[in-house]
Amino acid sequence: MLLARVEGSVVATRKHPSFEGWRLVICQPVNLAGQPDGSPQVAIDAYGAGLHQPVIISSDGAAARLAVGDPKSPARWMVIGIADEKEPGVLV
Amino acid sequence: MRVGTVIGRVTLSQTVESLRGARWLIVSPFTRQQFQERNQLPAVSAEPSLVVYDDLGGGVGQTIGFIEGREAAMPFEQSTPIDALNAALVDNIFYSPFK
Repeated sequence: MLLARVEGSVVATRKHPSFEGWRLVICQPVNLAGQPDGSPQVAIDAYGAGLHQPVIISSDGAAARLAVGDPKSPARWMVIGIADEKEPGVLV
Repeated sequence: MRVGTVIGRVTLSQTVESLRGARWLIVSPFTRQQFQERNQLPAVSAEPSLVVYDDLGGGVGQTIGFIEGREAAMPFEQSTPIDALNAALVDNIFYSPFK
């Protein structure tokens, strides 16, 4: 799981059918200081994460397949929650 | 899934039985800079390029979303030695860097 910041979204008409109806958000992994760390990943998002919101993304394919409801889906990265604080009272 | 530009194609004459007739694309993944100014920068990025299995019909110059890792083999009936799969032909990218 990675702490990441939502920096955009992707639109694709022709895609694997399991992605139909899912938001695809561009997530830039960040370090604790909030600086970009690694290359951006596109994740499926069920929570409606907004632009520049910090999120946690998971690379668990089994959970992503369960979420999209297709045991043959290639889905891997998914937004599993929207991050609030990195320590009590300090926003991410 | 990562996003990348198709920069070439590969064909195989001798191949694993389950991959006979497959289409293969050479893809250069987007870096953060490329998301920001993809029209100005050259298509080939600093990231290592890779070969991606394609069943959506991607062409050279197109932007695609590809899956890496074990999950890339999930759509196949039998176990297949694939670790990168073209999962989306990207129409549009909305990107706004933070800071």
